[in-house]
Amino acid sequence: MLKFIVRRIFWTIPVLLVVIFLTFTMMRQIGGNPFRHSERAVPEAVQRNLERKFHVDKPWYTQYAYYVKGVATLDLGPSLVLRGQTVNDIVKEHFPKSIELGVYAFLFALVVGVPLGMIAALKHNTSVDYGAMFFSNVFHAVPSFLVATLLIYYIALKGGALPTSGWSTWEHKIMPSIALGFAPMALFARLVRGTMLETLQQDYVRTARAKGLRYRRVVGLHVLRNSLIPVVTAAGPLLGYIITGSFVIELIFNIPGIGQYYVTAVNARDYSVVMGLTVLLSVIVIVANLVVDILYGILDPRTRDARA
Amino acid sequence: MATSPTPTNIREDALADVPGAAPASGAPIRQSNLWKDAWRRYIRNKGAVVAGAIFLLVVLYCVIWPFVSPYTGNEVDFTVAKQGPSLSHPLGTDKFGRDLFTRTAEGGRVSILIGFGATLAILLFGVVYGSISGFIGGRVDNGLMRFLDALYGLPYLPFAIITLAIIGRTDMWTMMIALSIASWFTTARIVRGQVLTLKENDYVRAAKAVGARWHRILVRHILPNTLGVLIIAIFLELPAVILGEAFLSFIGLGISPPDASWGAMAQEGRTTYRTHPIEIVVPSVAIASLVLCANFIADGLRDALDPRTRET
Repeated sequence: MLKFIVRRIFWTIPVLLVVIFLTFTMMRQIGGNPFRHSERAVPEAVQRNLERKFHVDKPWYTQYAYYVKGVATLDLGPSLVLRGQTVNDIVKEHFPKSIELGVYAFLFALVVGVPLGMIAALKHNTSVDYGAMFFSNVFHAVPSFLVATLLIYYIALKGGALPTSGWSTWEHKIMPSIALGFAPMALFARLVRGTMLETLQQDYVRTARAKGLRYRRVVGLHVLRNSLIPVVTAAGPLLGYIITGSFVIELIFNIPGIGQYYVTAVNARDYSVVMGLTVLLSVIVIVANLVVDILYGILDPRTRDARA
Repeated sequence: MATSPTPTNIREDALADVPGAAPASGAPIRQSNLWKDAWRRYIRNKGAVVAGAIFLLVVLYCVIWPFVSPYTGNEVDFTVAKQGPSLSHPLGTDKFGRDLFTRTAEGGRVSILIGFGATLAILLFGVVYGSISGFIGGRVDNGLMRFLDALYGLPYLPFAIITLAIIGRTDMWTMMIALSIASWFTTARIVRGQVLTLKENDYVRAAKAVGARWHRILVRHILPNTLGVLIIAIFLELPAVILGEAFLSFIGLGISPPDASWGAMAQEGRTTYRTHPIEIVVPSVAIASLVLCANFIADGLRDALDPRTRET
């Protein structure tokens, strides 16, 4: 097991290098020299100093090496547009809000989606099952901006129950978290139902029932544990989902998170920020996949050799 | 025993090539091939049939309605701005007094075209990459798959946004490129898996044994057998791309008004939803209906084409 984990962790290093390289190359395609086409007239000497400071005068592989070194030492460089701000400052300011939002959304999806899937599976082929599956199919298809705007319209504007936008008190955090968690919730419900139905037919479940174990205990002990494995494996791709969703949700609810800032940075052509944030998001996705793989290896020992 | 007046069955065609083995004309032969069986299984799945019908209806509406409609999608008329549904405007009008029923059809054309265009590109990338990787195998396969693992680390939306920034302009075609570049990995992986399995089949060994060249084996024996998986992949990728377009346009980095797409319409609706929510509801429901139908179609196709994976 340890060997598997160590190997898996080492393997993320080249993955990170490739991802940074791709992002770096892509950004160079747009960027050009950020100081040469500056709108401000800059004296020749100052320009050369700037270029030296930001290593723009070096060949691309040296720049790449500098950038990798920066990422490794958690320094994503300066913002090209906001004077005196570094990408790190921006991350520090906006990122915690996005994490909070994502965590709440994930919790909402988990707390609602898993029981929904369980109930659907236990009441297989009844109207409860059909209803739950119909709604989770619909919610999986509805774009998050519709969920968000309907929540705002009916709960905040018509009902006056919650504030429409912002991110300060806990009241502000309810609707965005639900709106972002809706699609993952539906996904969880479907996944849990699927595996639970499969697990319920396993021999060991029948054995447990046959030896007189109570139904609740069988479901709680044997079935649920095995049914949660796909929830763990889905968490990796789900993170991409939540990142994508946060771009939209943060915009609608006016939450000053990383998704909203990303769009601002793209529109302002602040490419060092765009690059830094992209690398950051990539690192998160990669690390999440790493954690998922390791957890999967722990939960389901059969996969260890295949994946290592 | 089903008999057909025009036997065009593969088995019969094969027999026809063998002298003396051709069946006597009129002899009953069981009509059964993969596609007919799959079709029969698909038809039995009511949910998938209804989803398919709605899907076709939505597509037909988007294609045909702009020709028939008394309005055009960009016809501004402030005297009828922000109206609710009525006889002359079945879905009401937006803040510029444009007929939403017509504009949704026009936006749908763009969204659906982007959807199918990007999906085709995804399949193309996926098939080429996946079949090279699976067919060559060994070190090449390992390297290509490891590279794919790395690509999986790139988050979808930012990747598409950067691609658009590189191209430097945003329209239907560049959206197709951006969305397909950001999401061909899964298809490539699926195709590679299929090719790996198919390669081990006896008929492939037999073909090799009689001296068929590699490209013939790939094109004649392996790729046709991945067709089922690819058809399913179409309906798995399509909803993702349509949602991707909607999100990109919604955050203002995709198709931008006055051009219509479902995402661009939702973006416009965002400014007025407090007083006139139907403007954002209409394109969103259009997106949701297409995505939902595509999901059901994909499920139905999976059950029909590969009965082994049928869910309980």
